[in-house]
Amino acid sequence: MNVVYFIFQQTMFFAIPLLIVALGGMFSERSGVVNIALEGIMTMGAFTSILFLNLSGNGMQGQGQLLLAIVIAMVTGSLFSLFHAYAAINMKADQTISGTALNMFAPAFAIFVARIVQGVQQIQFANTFRIDAVPVLGSIPVIGDLFFKNTYITTYIGIAILITATVVLYKTKFGLRLRACGEHPHAADAAGINVYHMQYAGVVISGALAGLGGLVFVVPTSTNFNATVSGYGFLALAVLIFGQWKPVKIMWASLFFGLTKAIAASYSGIPFLSSLGIPSYLFKMIPYLATLIVLIFTSRHSMAPRASGVPYDKGER
Amino acid sequence: MKKKLLSVLLSAAMAVTVLAGCGSKAEVAPAEEAAVTEEAPAEEAVAEEATESEASAEGYELALVTDLGTIDDKSFNQGAWEGLEKYAKDNGVSYKYYQPQEGTTDSYVETIGLAVEGGAKLVVCPGFLFEEPIFIVQDQYPEVTFILLDGAPHNADYSEFKTGENVMSIMFAEDQPGYLAGYAAVKDGMTKLGFMGGMAVPAVIRYGYGFVQGADAAAAELGVDVEVMYNYTGAFEATPEAQSMAASWYQNGTEVIFGCGGAVGNSVMAAAEEASAKVIGVDVDQSPESDTVITSAMKLLSNSVYDGVKAFYDGSFPGGETTTFTAANNGVGLPMETSKFETFAQADYDALYAKLAAGEITINTATEDSTTADITLTNTTVSFVE
Repeated sequence: MNVVYFIFQQTMFFAIPLLIVALGGMFSERSGVVNIALEGIMTMGAFTSILFLNLSGNGMQGQGQLLLAIVIAMVTGSLFSLFHAYAAINMKADQTISGTALNMFAPAFAIFVARIVQGVQQIQFANTFRIDAVPVLGSIPVIGDLFFKNTYITTYIGIAILITATVVLYKTKFGLRLRACGEHPHAADAAGINVYHMQYAGVVISGALAGLGGLVFVVPTSTNFNATVSGYGFLALAVLIFGQWKPVKIMWASLFFGLTKAIAASYSGIPFLSSLGIPSYLFKMIPYLATLIVLIFTSRHSMAPRASGVPYDKGER
Repeated sequence: MKKKLLSVLLSAAMAVTVLAGCGSKAEVAPAEEAAVTEEAPAEEAVAEEATESEASAEGYELALVTDLGTIDDKSFNQGAWEGLEKYAKDNGVSYKYYQPQEGTTDSYVETIGLAVEGGAKLVVCPGFLFEEPIFIVQDQYPEVTFILLDGAPHNADYSEFKTGENVMSIMFAEDQPGYLAGYAAVKDGMTKLGFMGGMAVPAVIRYGYGFVQGADAAAAELGVDVEVMYNYTGAFEATPEAQSMAASWYQNGTEVIFGCGGAVGNSVMAAAEEASAKVIGVDVDQSPESDTVITSAMKLLSNSVYDGVKAFYDGSFPGGETTTFTAANNGVGLPMETSKFETFAQADYDALYAKLAAGEITINTATEDSTTADITLTNTTVSFVE
C-alpha cells in the first residue's frame, strides 16, 4: 500500500504543474490566441517568485511566504504574457513567432538578472513548504494517505483552479463570450462583444496560470532555480491537446501524464515494477506514444477552438 | 496592411538594436564591478592596496578566465579562483578575473587575449571547454603561461594534441574521492547506497566507479552486504524525474545517494529533505546547500591552482606536462570538518587516505563501459538503472 501512496504523491508533483499550465493555455486558446509561450512564461514566473523566496528567506518561511510567492509568480506571468497579447492581438503578428520570442527571451533574462542581482545564475531557496500531514484530514485512512500527506498547498490550489476554471468557462457570461471569440470572433463582435478585450483576458489569465505553474514546478523538485523548467511548458501544450481544450479532460490528461512520468522516473525504486524487466525506455515513451495514438483517433473531429491562432481582423470578410 | 507590417518590423529591429546595445554594455559593467568588489573585501585592505598600486604600473599579473559559470558558482570556477586569490594575497601579486561574453572558442580566445593585454603573465582556465582555446593561444602568446584544469589542449577535431612548454594541464583522479566517500558511507553503517550521475562522461564515471569500489572494500572489511542503486540521469540538470527517482530509492530503503552531476545533486537534496535521508555532494564542499549533505567527494581545486601558481613563481613550472592530482599530492578528499558521520572518524579517514596516497589501493577506472558490469566486487550488488 505504501508504494501506491508513494506513486500517487509523486504523480501529483508532476501532474499539478501540468494541470495549472494547461488550464492557462486553455483560456488563451479558447479566446482564439495560441499561446506557445507557456514555457517562457513559466520560466519568468518561477524566476521572480524564487528570487523572492531567496531574498525574503531570512525573515520569512512557511506557507505565508509561499502564498506571497504565488501572487508574485502570477503577476509576473500576466505582465510577461502582455507582450504576447500585444503582438498577437494589436499587432496581429504570427502567434507562433511572438510566442517563440518569449520562450527565447525568458531564460536569457532570468540568467542575466540573476547574475546582476547575486552574481550566480542559480537561485537558492529553502523549501519550508512541504506539509507532512494535514491536521485531522491526514489521519483519515486511505484518503488521508493519498491526498493529505507529503503534499504542498499548491496541490489544493491546483484543484481549486480546476474547479474555478470549469465554472468560469461554462457557467458565466464571461466564459461564454470567451468561447465565442475563439470559435467565431466576427459573430461575437456582431453580437456586441469586444473581441480584443476578451482575447486580452484570455492571454493574461493564461500568463498568470503559467507563471504560477512555473513556481509549482520548481518548488518540490529542486533546491535551486537554474533558469529552466525542463520543457514542461511544451508538455502542458500536449496535455492541452490531449485534453481536447476541456477542463475536466485536461485534468485526466495531466493525471495520466503525471502517472506515467512518475512511474518512468521511479520504477527503479519500486521492487514490483523493477522486477518486471521492462526496459526503462518503454516507461519513458508511454506518455508520448499515448498522445500520438489519441491524436490519431481524435484529430478528425478535433475540438480545437476554430479561430485559435488566427489574428482577429475586424475588416476581414 | 503591408505598410503596417513594415513599420512593425522596423520598430522591432530598432528595439532589438537598442536593447542589444544596452545589453552588451550592461554585461561588461557588472563584470568589472564584480571584479572590483571581489578584490576589495574590507579585511584585506593591505593586500588590496598592493593590488591597486601594482595594477597601475604593470596591469594584473595573475588572471583567471571563467568558463560558463561565474567565480562564485560553488564549483569549478570558484575553486580555481580561491586558489589563485590565496596565492596572490599571500604574496602580494596583482590579480583579476575575466568573464567571456559567451561560451565559444572564439570568445574564450578573445578574453584570454584581453587578459594578456591587461598584463597577465599567468592565466588560469578552469574546465575542459578551454582545451581548444588553450591549444590556440599557447602558440599565440608564447611568453604567457597557462594552467588548464580538467583537460588537455587539442585542436577542434581532436586530431592533434599538444601541451606547450608554457602550459600546465591539471587532471584529477575522481575515482579516489569517490572511493573515500563510498568507503566512509559503508563504514558509517550504511548498507543501501545510491549513485546518481549526470551524463556518463569520464569524470562522472570515475567518481561512480570509485564510489562502488570504496563501498565494496568497506563491506568486505565489515563482512556485510551492500546494495548500490546506480544511474546516469543523462543531464546535469535538476528535473522532477531526477527528484522522483531519488525519492523512490529513498522510499525503497536507500540510505544515502551520491548526487554526482551538477544540479542533479539539487534534485537529490530535494528528495532527501522530503524523506529525511542523506546525500553525498560532489566537486566542492556542498554542505552549505542542504542539511542533508553528510559529506562531499571533493577535488581540491584551490590547492591545485595554488600549487600551480606557486610552481610558476618558484621557477619549477611543469610546462608541457599533465599533472594528475590524487591523494598522493593532496589534490582530492572529503571535507571532514563539515562531514556529519556518526562512527567514521578522522583517524579512519586519515588511515584510508594514507593508503590511497601510498598507492596501496588500486581502483578500476576503465571508463569505456559505464555500467559497472566490468568491476569485480565481493560484497556489493549493483543494480544499474538505465
